[in-house]
Amino acid sequence: MTAPRLSRRTYVFAYLALLALTLITTLIAYLNLGVWSTVIAIGIATVMASIVAGIMMHALYESLLIRIIVSGGIIWFFFMITLTLGDYISRGWLPVPGK
Amino acid sequence: MSDPVALELREQFATPEQQRETASAGMWIFLMTEVLMFGALFSAYTVYRILHPQGFALGSSEMDILLGSINTAILLTTSLMMAFAESNAQEGNERWLAICLIAVMLLGAVFLYVKFSEYIEHYHEHKAPGFWFEDSSPYANNVQLFFVFYFIMTGLHAVHMIIGIGIMAFLLFRTWVGSFSAQYHTPIVIGGLYWHFVDIVWIFLYAIFYLPGLHR
Repeated sequence: MTAPRLSRRTYVFAYLALLALTLITTLIAYLNLGVWSTVIAIGIATVMASIVAGIMMHALYESLLIRIIVSGGIIWFFFMITLTLGDYISRGWLPVPGK
Repeated sequence: MSDPVALELREQFATPEQQRETASAGMWIFLMTEVLMFGALFSAYTVYRILHPQGFALGSSEMDILLGSINTAILLTTSLMMAFAESNAQEGNERWLAICLIAVMLLGAVFLYVKFSEYIEHYHEHKAPGFWFEDSSPYANNVQLFFVFYFIMTGLHAVHMIIGIGIMAFLLFRTWVGSFSAQYHTPIVIGGLYWHFVDIVWIFLYAIFYLPGLHR
């Protein structure tokens, strides 16, 4: 597989999308949407990160090996955060005898 | 001396393409260890924000959203410059490759200047955690905890930026001595991967430190 080669046009479109998303996420942050504020902020940040990784770092156009490496890193990160939060969020759900 | 690809092909590789992909895979594996390092900090931040939502909201409202947004735009621009550097390298256009690398370094330095002026501002407002920390709210300790995360995470990111500028200086030097051509420019791509990754980390830092304090 040869090195991925993207046009400057693609990079400029990705860049403009990133700037637009920065503006959108900042404006939305001024609204008080409760817990949704955080969900939207992290959601938009994830979209932006995907654009940088997929296009600027051309992970989307790389070989299967590299896509597996990237997926592996992300999956392990999700293991870490879901197992950690699974503990902290579920504390107090069940009564503990003697406490 | 005529074929730069043959010169750069190490003996353990069959083809230049195999060598390039190996280098890319190695860099991606390193970046995934970085994901887990920053990921541990993000996880810790999330846990404490769930435990102390008021203190973290108050802490975040101390952030300067204008400087934060400008820095985000600056970093995104460096990513574009880095992508252009790669395009120029692929075309063998060394002059524009060097110009793009210099642009990345200069904008990276501007980012650090803005970041450090924010740090100084926080320090003067007694928001740096530790002995001089002052906060009149009932959640003072939690606000301090927010600033511990803020300084450690943005500080670690700033260290990555400094290393990134060093890498760009090294790549610029190699461009200047003529190491790269349209056939061989893998180090530009690898350095670019690192730079873009540091950009991704900032995108999340912006979302968790600057945005939560806005809706007040």
